[in-house]
Amino acid sequence: MKNRIEDFRNRNDWTQQELADRTKVSRQTIISLERGHYNPSILLAFRLARQFGVRIENLFIYSESEEEEANE
Amino acid sequence: MNEQRNWFNRQIRTGWTLLGGGLLLGIIGVFLPFAVDNLPFNSRTITGLGILLIGLGTAHLVRYNAARKDPKMAGRLMIEEKDERLQMIRARAGNRAYWVSAVMIYIGLMWASFSSNGSLPAISPEPLWYFLAAVVILPFGVYVVSLYNDMKIR
Repeated sequence: MKNRIEDFRNRNDWTQQELADRTKVSRQTIISLERGHYNPSILLAFRLARQFGVRIENLFIYSESEEEEANE
Repeated sequence: MNEQRNWFNRQIRTGWTLLGGGLLLGIIGVFLPFAVDNLPFNSRTITGLGILLIGLGTAHLVRYNAARKDPKMAGRLMIEEKDERLQMIRARAGNRAYWVSAVMIYIGLMWASFSSNGSLPAISPEPLWYFLAAVVILPFGVYVVSLYNDMKIR
């Protein structure tokens, strides 16, 4: 799943470590999220969205075709 | 802050428990042959387990005692231990290790079944010892390699 975490993080001028501390996850998790290698739990998705002050659907971009590709 | 302190105290207690248990097993393993004649097993297996626990306990104590002196580092360590991605990686590694051990035990069971009716040669004690050791070590190896691979940030 694609996301705009890096984009919103840069807008807030936060480092990956700062965002990790704010959302109570490791910096490695933030890196994996930004690279699209890890899909967060719903709780973490909410925490991230709340930190940026946006709605979840503005932060994570869901696409059915991507899900189909992953299932193939 | 209280949650962090309680968590750290729990980790320190775990470290001391591992260390204490390891020392106890180590001492039992060393002195058992003197106390009991003709032991039916090699007491070094107990000593080995004791040494392993001493190592784990010492590592635990060093890691958490060092972090406790630095509140910022302590907070990060607690967060990293509870990190959802790390927990998922651990669960996945555990799942892989479980399947490896299940397959190995199944092979062992099948061999024992077939050897009982003469279809396969019976396993003598020495190969059996190595097989059982592999059943312990191989899944652990799979667990460690799986953790290492999945933790690498691609």
